[in-house]
Amino acid sequence: MIGQRTLPTKAFAIFFIAIFFLFLLSTTNCIREEDITLEQRAHQLAGELMCPVCDGQTIDGSNAQIAVDMRLKVRELLDAGDTNAEVKDYFVDRYGQEILAAPETSGFSLLAYIVPVFIVLGGIGIALITIKNMRKSAAQVISSGGQTESSSNKPDDLSDYLAQVDRDLGKSIKPGSSESNDVSSSQPDKENS
Amino acid sequence: MADLGVMALLLGLALSAYAAIGSVVGEKIGMAELVVSARRALYMTTLAVVIASGALINAFVQNDFSIRYVADHSNTLMDRAFVWVAFYAGNEGSLLYILLALALMSALSVWFAPKRLARSMPWTIAILAIIQLFYFVVLSFAANPFELLDTVPLDGRGINPLLTHTGMFSHPPMLMGGLIAITIPFAFVSGALIAGNYGDDWIDVARVSAILAWGVLGTGMLIGAWWAYTILGWGGYWAWDPIENVALMPWLVLTAFIHSIMVQKRRGMFRMWNVALLNIAFVLAQLGMFINRGGPVVSVHSFAASALGIIFLSFMIASLVFAFALFLWRMPQLKSDRAMESFVSREASFLINNFLFLSVMAVTLWGVLYPVFAEFARDISVSVSAPYFNRANGPVLLGIVVMMGIGPLLPWRKTSARSLKQWFVWPTLVGVLTIIVLVALGVQRPIAIFAFGVVAFVAASISEEWWRGTVARHRSGDNWPMAWWRLVNGNRPRHGGYIVHISILMLGLGIIGTNFYQQRTDGALALGESLVIDNYRIEYVDNGDESRPDRIAQWAEMSVYEISPEDYEQEKAFAAAQGSTGFTLKDSRLRENDKLIDQIRPWHGFYVDFNMASVRSGIRSTLVEDLYVIPRDFLADGRISLAVSINPLAWWLWASGPFFIIGTMVALWPQPAVERRPVRKRKLDDTEGEN
Repeated sequence: MIGQRTLPTKAFAIFFIAIFFLFLLSTTNCIREEDITLEQRAHQLAGELMCPVCDGQTIDGSNAQIAVDMRLKVRELLDAGDTNAEVKDYFVDRYGQEILAAPETSGFSLLAYIVPVFIVLGGIGIALITIKNMRKSAAQVISSGGQTESSSNKPDDLSDYLAQVDRDLGKSIKPGSSESNDVSSSQPDKENS
Repeated sequence: MADLGVMALLLGLALSAYAAIGSVVGEKIGMAELVVSARRALYMTTLAVVIASGALINAFVQNDFSIRYVADHSNTLMDRAFVWVAFYAGNEGSLLYILLALALMSALSVWFAPKRLARSMPWTIAILAIIQLFYFVVLSFAANPFELLDTVPLDGRGINPLLTHTGMFSHPPMLMGGLIAITIPFAFVSGALIAGNYGDDWIDVARVSAILAWGVLGTGMLIGAWWAYTILGWGGYWAWDPIENVALMPWLVLTAFIHSIMVQKRRGMFRMWNVALLNIAFVLAQLGMFINRGGPVVSVHSFAASALGIIFLSFMIASLVFAFALFLWRMPQLKSDRAMESFVSREASFLINNFLFLSVMAVTLWGVLYPVFAEFARDISVSVSAPYFNRANGPVLLGIVVMMGIGPLLPWRKTSARSLKQWFVWPTLVGVLTIIVLVALGVQRPIAIFAFGVVAFVAASISEEWWRGTVARHRSGDNWPMAWWRLVNGNRPRHGGYIVHISILMLGLGIIGTNFYQQRTDGALALGESLVIDNYRIEYVDNGDESRPDRIAQWAEMSVYEISPEDYEQEKAFAAAQGSTGFTLKDSRLRENDKLIDQIRPWHGFYVDFNMASVRSGIRSTLVEDLYVIPRDFLADGRISLAVSINPLAWWLWASGPFFIIGTMVALWPQPAVERRPVRKRKLDDTEGEN
């Protein structure tokens, strides 16, 4: 394969994915209702209910009279011992689904939550597959060239080899274009994807 | 004045049409004179827009209420300084402003365009001219800011009260300017592709203009957040409102672009991908314009009842089709020079970072469009707001921060296990230690603790790199600050990037603090009464009237005391039993350990004509937390109704701004000529596209 390959790529990838899922999981688990004061819960709920007369604002942020009244109602229901879900249902019964700042996590609305998971996993998947494909073609070119690239950090060592590759590929590039300190080596141009 | 404005717009319309047609025809039939004259026509459109804008501003200064737009957005009472804000306060004026920004940027970028792009310039000019033409047409026929009123009113309606804030001098122009600025890199890259200039000649101009657009847009969003925090009186700074989202989405894509363009610059890879990113960013900017002008989603910010929606939707679809078709047409020529060597390399990590940014963008887009989709598919109305976006985007955003610590430490091409160990031990240790310390200190909320650990990890990785580089230079004789400065100067794009990363970490601190640890309470106080929250007592000591003809306004003076909990044990227990976070006191006599630490002066105004309230929150800000007092209302019985919160680490949100700007400027600052490399000529590709 390519140069020195001491790296446990697979382990690295698994580690990554594990971490990713770990925090994906942890974020779904919000604070439990009984841990906080009723007032905090009321504020939280106010942030999850839309103000019916203001465009795109929750009742937590709005100063409209109806928002003030709804905030009081939320607190009243909580004082009466309602759970968060019951409070939300109370308002959904009166104003419809639209009153919720985030769609329900059931029925058709579940789609709102499933699609993002596919987007994110799909995105990462495409990225990994792309890298894999790009690597594969790298390996092919190197092996067909019959020469293993040295892992030397001095571009000068490679200049003859580079020139040969360029002649082989029938193209001309200007060598020595490594421009700055952290490009450690230059490498043959390969026209493939 | 109105006549002058109208004529300038029509002149600009004609000039931009000529520039577009002349440029294309001149290029096609090989008539160099026509191409040159088309370019000059493009410069002249700038003059036309400047005249039109000047006419409108002059109308505001002269209080010319015969013009509808002036009468709607200003009055004789308005502070003259706000003429500039009134200029873009409404639909028509903001379109004129956008065109002004576009015309100026087009002229500058064409003027300063590098010589080697000469072959593709006619196409770039044509694209710029067509986009300008669109705005000229809209301004002349659909949203004319110089429309006259039949009867001239004695006074205007006045400026929207929410806009009379210093942030408004810069937030809307930066946001609109940043969105339209994406046109510039798009035009240059598209021009190069049409001309068959597949090489990397466009990299520098695209990179610089994209970073400029990105920096302006980012700064604009940050100022907007600050404005919301201080004036909107809702206690937050980012609501995931559709209008905020449509500015965020192209910004995210540009962020991906300015990372992956480095891979193209260094390694000749991701060429196709970079073109695609710019196309996506441009189309998203058009989507933003559309949603701003009467799109299908409700928002706090949208311009009221604008019939322009359909026009902007058409333009967005046209740009989508154009970008996509051009991309497909030229895709075969955009292959990478080199191949990927390892999963664990900087280019691979940049690719993953790119997909994470695009994921956040796509999820946000899905959230913005979901209500439309649900309505269409099932005929149900739903709302999608902050709680949804926090949950859907939070984890990936944290993932991006993780990548921010990993990517820059990985070398290009591939990584040996040894270098991995060498570079990652210290940051990982710092991150883990942070988590352990926070847990030991009894800090709550596991997710937030994890996030703090991530921030520490990234901060350690940046400081590690700076530390090693500085030490190396210090050994060669520089003193410490000089060594660091030389390090940064040696590779400005990279170290400017680190400074921006630091600003993102500061932003992250603020976001974690305010989202996870905010405390809130409501209360109503009469003069002399106090409200207690956490270790603060806020005493209402004075008030005053500041009403003017257009508003009923009052301020309240409040003393902030730091208290010691044992003095208030009884009341605290009582409040806790009632489920309250804070409590009010009738008796404000000083207790033993009370210490006066600040005076704050919240302000509340109600604008009768607009039926709109505007507030200035009273804020006592420290590095650790903000005490934030929103005056909800002055009640009829003389009390003031307050929403009080403690926003931990909020200071860091705003402190990140200067770092963001400085980092962007460092990254953009031209390298000395000696260090510039010649751009590689790609003769192989060029032969085919020669004309």
